[in-house]
Order: sequence, then structure tokens, then C-alpha cells
Amino acid sequence: MGKIVVDANKSKLSLGLRELFQYKDLFITLAYRDLRVRYAQTILGFIWAFVQPLSSLLIFTFVFNKVIKVDTGDAPYQIFAMSGMISWTYFAFVLNQSGNSIIGAQGMVKKIYFPRLIIPLSKAVVGFVDFGIAFLLMIGLMIYFQYIPSSNIIYLPIFILLTVISALAVGIWVSVLTIRYRDFQHIVPFIVQFGLYATPIGYTTSTAVDKLPKWLSIIYYLNPIAGIIDGVRWSILGTEAPNQYAYISFSIVIIIFISGLFYFKKVEKVMADIV
Amino acid sequence: MSDIAIKVENLSKLYEIGNSKSGSIYESFSSLFSKNKEASSFWALNDLTFDINHGDIVGVMGRNGAGKSTLLKVLSRITQPTKGRFTINGRVSSLLEVGTGFHPELSGRENIFLNGTILGMSRSEIRQKMDEIVDFSGVEKFLDTPVKHYSSGMYVRLAFAVAAHLEPEILIIDEVLAVGDATFQKKAIGKMKSVSQTEGRTVLFVSHNIGSIQHLCTHSIVLNQGQMVHSGTTDSGIKYYLSSNQDNLKIPLSERTDRKGNQTAKIDDITINTQSNQNTSEFLSGIKGEFVFKYTSKEPLIKVGLRVEVLNSMQKSITVLNTYHSIGEFDLLNKEGELKCQFDRIPLSHGNYYLNFILISNQDIVDQVESAFSFSIEQSDFFNSGNIPLFKESAILDHTWNIT
Repeated sequence: MGKIVVDANKSKLSLGLRELFQYKDLFITLAYRDLRVRYAQTILGFIWAFVQPLSSLLIFTFVFNKVIKVDTGDAPYQIFAMSGMISWTYFAFVLNQSGNSIIGAQGMVKKIYFPRLIIPLSKAVVGFVDFGIAFLLMIGLMIYFQYIPSSNIIYLPIFILLTVISALAVGIWVSVLTIRYRDFQHIVPFIVQFGLYATPIGYTTSTAVDKLPKWLSIIYYLNPIAGIIDGVRWSILGTEAPNQYAYISFSIVIIIFISGLFYFKKVEKVMADIV
Repeated sequence: MSDIAIKVENLSKLYEIGNSKSGSIYESFSSLFSKNKEASSFWALNDLTFDINHGDIVGVMGRNGAGKSTLLKVLSRITQPTKGRFTINGRVSSLLEVGTGFHPELSGRENIFLNGTILGMSRSEIRQKMDEIVDFSGVEKFLDTPVKHYSSGMYVRLAFAVAAHLEPEILIIDEVLAVGDATFQKKAIGKMKSVSQTEGRTVLFVSHNIGSIQHLCTHSIVLNQGQMVHSGTTDSGIKYYLSSNQDNLKIPLSERTDRKGNQTAKIDDITINTQSNQNTSEFLSGIKGEFVFKYTSKEPLIKVGLRVEVLNSMQKSITVLNTYHSIGEFDLLNKEGELKCQFDRIPLSHGNYYLNFILISNQDIVDQVESAFSFSIEQSDFFNSGNIPLFKESAILDHTWNIT
């Protein structure tokens, strides 16, 4: 038998993880719904999931390999770019989806109780599909170029985990901020567009850091995903290890993630009133 | 197990009308510098304390804005109370809407899972009950069709079927029964009633419809402006609620404070004139007459509409007299005047009636009062046949018969 106590004067500090687990079935169905609906009534259907990363790869190859001629060492440029894109596509997808996630679910939020954190969390799960596809494409490229990944590959899971955490961290913040300030509906697409260039996807970080003054390098690594992409690339290609600035990125991720969870909890109480 | 299912102690909820917490960054900065924040807030619930025992079926009554929906939202944990606390002992489900979370692109079956898990069922529980749910809804043929192709009736039936198969110990439910076609409604109400009575569930039920509260509930709570003004058996609650409407009517309309809307204009007085009597509140069924709404306005109003709802003594809506339907929009260019609704023969049978009205200008509510006026109608020979219609408090349709 359940017992529920709600007291306006006592605020709980816990994040309610146990409750989140009780609602795992809702979590699964919401993620399933998003996946099912995503390519409903499209002619290409699931093929779209491949078209998008492939076309980005083409553009990157053209701009950074043919026009600007970025030096990527031993690795073929396509594998280099793709190793940056796997984390970025996931990060960008979750960021884009989270912004409107709670507003999009306001019909539910206003009519029934469930841990609201499920909404941005389920978006992070849906993003795994894009992540998986980008990953598949990269394996495909490796086979095509007969490229053998470096022995650092054992560290890859850590950086993938960090990718998920960073996407969630930013996603949770954006999902809450958008309810309070609808301005973020316009800011988020801009950030994603800007981030595509402010993140070392098509070019190496050393090209950026070498040319930037120190203070600007620090600002560059305030981008939570920048250091992680360095790490992913290091695991796969075995090139330069994440530099000292990359640790700024890692700390930022942890700070944003934890503060985001608590801010979310705080706003959750009044979410139905302000959404 | 204690006897108390829901224990509410000093529960209050404050709403801010200006709603400075949403909107744009600019607004929230500018609100930092604006004064009188207290003035733009109100207590939707004010210091409620009550207990509900296991097995009770409690109806919550009150007029619009009395705090019924807020109470449900707080008890359903959709929104947090500002003060006070409540305890719920037992597995609880709340139903403020049927079909929450339904997605038009998904099939009926997928939506059963979606809606079921939103309502708190587990996937295995839904799988077990799937046949029952489908059977109850009567849409088995279209189970794999996206629900966007459903008729609205089918949609509601499917949504209700899921809700009807919830098995909580405590059910918190809003007026969701007022949907669907009549046969289905009967089935749904029957299901509600059998579930609550035979299985000893606790139900908290909010409704405008006194009839369904009378039909379903054992106890009742009456709310008025956020406060609980009565609690007791269903009959005593209904009696109290109806008589509080009477009390309100003793106050002249122009002095009533239970108004909504932006108040740029006000209906100050409602009168009825008939052939033989000016300003009457008792007259015969079927005579010529007019309802007169006297207004004063601070400024000329454009695109005005007046919607008048006629209710019987059980607060059940009989009909609506809406300017949008009959004449369209008009402008109120004078600062005061009268709006007259005229009848050749007033088509209501004998009994007591109440009027609610909403005055709208440019799609904003200007003035709204419930139970603004009451009048009674005496029996008469409506059809001039020598046989007086005896049915009470409903519309009489003027008609003739032919045999060919």
C-alpha cells in the first residue's frame, strides 16, 4: 500500500530516483512513442536517419578537407569528421528536442502527476538511435578505409557516457528554462547552429587552440561537448590526448548536470502552473 | 490500515494572476521593478481541512472559480500547495481528463499502452487487461488504425475504456463522465458505480452536475471562493449548495462581488417584462415576454456578445441564449443601456430557473456572474388544448401534429 505525504513547508532534497524507477514503464512508452512518431508519414521513413549524418559528412569533407585542408594525420578525413560527429549529433539532437519537450507535453503535465524528469530523460533515450546510426556509419567508414582504431578504444565507453551526461545536463537546463522563458525556443536552434562551428567536429582542436589567445581557448572549452569530442577522437584515432583545457569541459559537464537536476526539482513543483 | 484515506490539513494554494514567472526574460526583469505583487495574487484554496474515510464516495460541489479544480490538481500532485499538507493512504489514481497523452499518429493499441502507463498502470498489467479494455471500448476492428482516423466518439470510448480499468484504492476524478454518447455514458457511470460500491473504493468526484453527484456520492463537500463552506451527506450538501445560490440572489446584482472578467462593463440588473407585468419574477409559461439586461460601461465596447445560460433548480443547464448564435456580434457604443432578449412565447415549463451570463467583448470576458437571477414559472395551458403540460423545469417546444 502506498502512502503519499505532501507538505508545503517541508521541501525534500532527494531527487526521487526511486520514484523515477517506479515510472520506468511510462519512460519506455514515451520513448517508444517519440521513435514511432518521428518518421510517421514520411516516404523515406527510417532512411532519413542515415541521410542527415551522411549529408553533414559530405559538407564537412568539402569545406574542411577540400577547401581549408585541415591536417588530420594518418586518419582519413571522413573517419576524423565522423568521430567528432557521433557525439555532436547526439548532443545536438537532445538539446534541440529538450527545449520544447515540456511545453510539448503540457497536456500531460497539466492533467496528471508523474516525475517530470521523465520528459527530458526520454528525449535522451530517443537520441540513442541517432547516436547508433552515426556509430554504424563510422564503423562502415573504418571498414571501407581499412582503418584500425587505436588501442585507446577501451576508453571510448567512458567518453560515450560523458556525451550522454553532457547532453542530458544541457537538455535538462534548457527544458526548464524554456518553460519560464520562451525566448529559449529561439535561442536553442541558434546555439546548435553556432555550436556546429564552435565545436571541434570538422577540424582539430589544435588548429583552434594554437591560433587562439589563452583566454579565448578557455572560453572555447566552456563548451561542454568540446573536451568530450577530443576524448572520443583520442580513443578512436589515438591522436592528440585531450589537452589541459579539456578538463574545463569535463568539469563544466558535471557542474551543469548536478545543478540542472536540482533546478529542475525546484521548478517541478510549480511546473503545471507556469507551463 | 487506518480508516482515513485522504487527510487534508490547512491546505492553501496561492496563484499569481500576473504570472510573472513565465513569459519572456524582458518581462521577468521588468517585474523585478514593479510593485504591488500581493495585489495580483489570490487564494484559490484557503485553509481547507477535512478527512475522507476509506470507502467513501465524496462529491465536491461549488461554482466556477470556487477552487474545485485546484483542489483536484493539488491532491493529484500536479501542482504543489502553498501552505498546509495532505496525506493519502493507498494506491491513488487521478483522472482529470480521459485520453491524456493520446497521440494521433499511434494506433489504438499503442495508445492504450501510452495512456495506461501515464495513468500509472504497468505494461504487464495493461497486457493482461488488453482484451477487457478493447471489449469495453468496442473499437476492436480499428485497433491497429492510427487514432487520428477515429471518430471523436470512438476516441473517447477508447480513452474511457483505459481509464475504467484502473484499479486504484483511491480515485480522484473530474467531470470526465460528461463525454461520449448516451449509451456509453450509462455504461461508464454504471462501471464507476459498481467499482466504487462493490469493491469499496474511495472516490473523490468533482462535478458541476448535481444530478450525477446525487446519483454516485455518499458524502459531499461544498467549496466557495477557496474555502470549504459545508461538508456532510450528499443530500445535505446539495441542499446547502442550492440554498447558497439563493443567498447570493438576495444581494442586488450590481453589488455582487463574485464576478469574473475585466469589468470594463457590468450587467447591473436583470429584469423580466411580460405583457401584463413589468419587472416580474413570476409568470405563466408560454406568454409573451422579454429578458432585460441593463448594463453600464466605462468605455464604448466593440464586438460584444452576451451568452445567457438557463438552468433549472438542480443547476442543470436547460438552454443557452447566445447573441452569437442568433444575431452575431454587436457594438455597445453608449455608456449605459439595455440588451433585450424577446420571446413571443416563453418556452419553459413550470418550475424555478436560474440565469448565468457571460458578457464578452473582442473575445475577452468582460463580466460574468453565475446564478445572477432567478425566476419561477407557473403552469399554464401552453398549447391551448385544455391539457396543461405537467413536466417540470424543461423546455417546451412549440409544435403541432398532423395526421395524413
